[in-house]
Amino acid sequence: MTTQLPPGLQLEKVDERIMTLNVGPQHPGSGHMRLIVQVDGDYIVACDPDPGYVHRGEEKMCEYRNYITNIPHLERPVIHDSCNILYPYCLAVEEILGLEVPERAKYVRVIASELNRCVYTMYWLAIYGIFLGHSTMFMWPMGDRELLIDLLEKITGARVTHAYFVPGGVRNDLPANFEDVCLRQVNYFEKRIKEYADIFYDNPILISRTENTGILSRQDAIRLGTTGSVLRASGVDFDIRKKEPYDVYENLDFQTNVLQSGDSYARSKIPWLDMFESCRIIRDALRKMPKSGSVRVKLKPNPKGGDVEVYRRVESGRGALGMHVISKSKPEPYRVKISVGSFRNLICIPYLLRGEKLGNMPAVYWSLNYWPVEADR
Amino acid sequence: MSSADTTETKDTKKKRTRKPRTTKSKTKKSEEINPPAETTTTEITTPSEQEVAPALVEEIVPETEEKVETEDVVPQVDLPKFEKSLADKITQKFGSKAEVAYIKQNRIRINVKKEDIKDIALYIRDELNFDHAESVSGVDYPDAKKIEVVYHLGSYTDPELSKQILALATSAPREEDPNPGRDSTRLPSLREIFYSVEFHERECFEMLGVYFDGHPDNRRLLLPEDWADIPPLRKDFAIKGR
Amino acid sequence: MSVIAPKFRLGYFIKALLDNIFWAVVLLTLAGIPAIMILLFYIDLPIIDGQILTPFLAFTWMTHPEMSVPLVKAFMQTDFFRIAAFPGFGFGALLAAGVIFVERKMLAKLQLRVGPFYCGKVEGILQLMSDGIKLLTKEIIIPAKADKPIFWVAPLLFVGTAAAFVSLIPVAPKTVVADIDVGLLAVFAIIGFFPIITVLSSWSANSKYPFIGGIRALHQMISFEIPLILSLLGVVILTGTLNLSEIVESQATYWWIAFLPVGAIVFFIAMLAELERIPFDLPEAESEIVAGWLTEFSGMMYGLVQLGSYLKLYAFAGLFVVLFLGGWQGPMVWPPFPEEIVTEGITMGPVTAQIPGLPLFSQEMLNGTLWFILKTAAVIFFILLPRGVFPRIRIDLLLHVGWYRLIGLSFVNIFIALGLLYAGVLGPEGIL
Repeated sequence: MTTQLPPGLQLEKVDERIMTLNVGPQHPGSGHMRLIVQVDGDYIVACDPDPGYVHRGEEKMCEYRNYITNIPHLERPVIHDSCNILYPYCLAVEEILGLEVPERAKYVRVIASELNRCVYTMYWLAIYGIFLGHSTMFMWPMGDRELLIDLLEKITGARVTHAYFVPGGVRNDLPANFEDVCLRQVNYFEKRIKEYADIFYDNPILISRTENTGILSRQDAIRLGTTGSVLRASGVDFDIRKKEPYDVYENLDFQTNVLQSGDSYARSKIPWLDMFESCRIIRDALRKMPKSGSVRVKLKPNPKGGDVEVYRRVESGRGALGMHVISKSKPEPYRVKISVGSFRNLICIPYLLRGEKLGNMPAVYWSLNYWPVEADR
Repeated sequence: MSSADTTETKDTKKKRTRKPRTTKSKTKKSEEINPPAETTTTEITTPSEQEVAPALVEEIVPETEEKVETEDVVPQVDLPKFEKSLADKITQKFGSKAEVAYIKQNRIRINVKKEDIKDIALYIRDELNFDHAESVSGVDYPDAKKIEVVYHLGSYTDPELSKQILALATSAPREEDPNPGRDSTRLPSLREIFYSVEFHERECFEMLGVYFDGHPDNRRLLLPEDWADIPPLRKDFAIKGR
Repeated sequence: MSVIAPKFRLGYFIKALLDNIFWAVVLLTLAGIPAIMILLFYIDLPIIDGQILTPFLAFTWMTHPEMSVPLVKAFMQTDFFRIAAFPGFGFGALLAAGVIFVERKMLAKLQLRVGPFYCGKVEGILQLMSDGIKLLTKEIIIPAKADKPIFWVAPLLFVGTAAAFVSLIPVAPKTVVADIDVGLLAVFAIIGFFPIITVLSSWSANSKYPFIGGIRALHQMISFEIPLILSLLGVVILTGTLNLSEIVESQATYWWIAFLPVGAIVFFIAMLAELERIPFDLPEAESEIVAGWLTEFSGMMYGLVQLGSYLKLYAFAGLFVVLFLGGWQGPMVWPPFPEEIVTEGITMGPVTAQIPGLPLFSQEMLNGTLWFILKTAAVIFFILLPRGVFPRIRIDLLLHVGWYRLIGLSFVNIFIALGLLYAGVLGPEGIL
């Protein structure tokens, strides 16, 4: 064994005092990734995230398929939020192909993406609950999530992998009588998530565990380029739905939630507060939506774009989700770069976990609104 | 070379390609009812009248810098003002070092040489208030023998810039037989300037074999440790069965 | 859907059954009965109902059900029965099984789901049994570099210690395995064994997560044993005895929880920590250290540890009942034993069997056991409830609670008890 290792490889160092833990990928507290945690007793000395366990090469796959057949596999990185991960792709491809989306389709997209954002957030919240040892908080969001999944199933025909957004609109129109059902379910959903305050967010043990842990200051949040709920929990008012409105978000009535403390508690609370805004958006969109009309531009088979490059971004459940699509006058994109919120928030993990207690690891790690599969792509 | 007049709007192309396609009656109807959304987003009016010749589009490929220099005859009328002012600031400061590839609504792209990228990035961060990198995409161009790295920079602190994305592109020489980390495919790392590019550059290193000089932690990120093939996002890496 | 093996024939099946029965009968007659005879001739036989238990008598009683009551009664007086079955291990294990079932169903109701449902037709009552069978059939995997003797013996030690703890809990008047004068001290001594077993097993597993879990368990148990012991001193001060049965008898008119609520609360919280229940389940915190010190246990070794921990839960709940809730004390609600069964016998169809020696249990004992079980169930309910409500606490908060709050409160409790004693309100010469 030579001492000169190729770049990218390293030897594990054995220390007498520092113990190295491989948290994941086969670990109940990691998700599909590995955190190489070095602990001194119960304190974390260093933490090195090692994503890539579920790397599927989405970006490479995009280069082999045309603009339409890219849709079903592009939503795989985050199947719970599949509408939102397809959203920037569709916006980018529309810009490349020069498509104009019908007005009704824009509203339908907003409704579907907000529903999907709530579905994702509920899943995330459930796992946050079980990471903190709160099994009721695992079961309740998992159950209440079904309300919105049913709605999405009504719209798209699938429970999680919808493949609903297509360049130029959405795949199909809303079913008949959807608005009443949607309003009813969303209102009940909002009533349910209000109860989470009693059992979870106002719980004294939860507050004592998550407050003042993993504090990310405003300057650091900006410097590390975090996004989404992590950024808004650190006091930066940045939501792409407000700052760079796409589709019809500028017509809709909602606000962004900003907390100043920047600790795990604030980071875990922001997505929950955002769900109320999502409900508001859905109700508003249902009210303002054109009652009839086309929802899709008919595309030519195998559409080709010009020689352009486009960077479009949306606000997904985990923050800004940008797609950099380069077209080279071919049916296939030349390059698709997916810049996901999870990957951007990953940089916080070594930064925040250093010096924390081991018991804070799940609380801090999962409060980053990190979805390992999405970060791996 | 003054790069302000070498710029090209890509907004125009959107409208251009739309017109032939909106032959379907459905789409037309919906357009009549509802104006396009992006006209209300900014103060900039989308230049819908201008028609760009199709041949032009191929010449303004952002990667082919030489071609861009040659075609500065097209009159640029409706460049978005704010974006243009940003690009002008950079070109005034750096002159020919920074070459504006395009200015679109909310999007600017600047091509620089790899020797100058640190100065320009520092200027962009300190003077123009772009404070973080949203994404770092590496693109492989085997024909041009280069690998291009595009930093998409954004700003959280400046509310004026919040919708802007500045793409700062540079390129590294590409070798046919890559040996990541030990060949000439090298770029200076921007991690000192934009801390947020750390993992993006690591990903770029393993996916395209671009070694970032000055990056403290040039290790594998997503790929397995025993990956022994060429960097997978290069164009000559073929997926099995394709 | 189980698939019957393709070569299955009903005839083969019946033949196999008959073969087994045949060999069982042959072995019993050729080996079993001679063995019993030899055994009966060579051991000292007890005197039951004034006559010595000869083999002849024993066989007579065995074959006549109405005459076997003295034998059963004598058996119930043996130490083996007391330890293994009624007030000891078996009773505790039965209650523990009930606890597991109730925990699952109650937690399911809290979390808006169904819980175990299919196994056993009625609300999944056989789920625990099937889980036990599953654990029995699982392969036991031991880490390659583990210290194997210690690792093997740790689950057995854990169950044994828990059973020893159970044996000290008086269930009804004179129904306790070990009625010793230093009962409470013995309880403290036995509780002190648990951290040692935990650390031994986690150390011997030679693995990282069990090690961290074991160290956490050690910290937690040691820092909570002090308030646990101190909080019980108030009861000892007021009763003047360490014998648990006498402590129960001292609560005939009022329960100690009425005078020492602070001590009861401290003891309850310390009990949760000792039991490693949520919110104090740090040694098994699955999102941080997989399963803590249980990580490397597999198969029935894990099952034994689980059995031990639920036995421990029952024992702690029983201890709480004994010390603060008056043990078996309660109004007489058990109906008296019908006399005519003893005098006239039981009529079953055409046959009337007169069984001397009934009843097996006295009315007081049954009543006491009933009250004890009811109170224990109530305490166990409150032990289970936090699991659906609270998240897990962190180690520094836990130690802070243990060392700063609970110890202080338990001293407050001691001063309350001393005040009541010296004011002459309670105690040996008290006015109450």
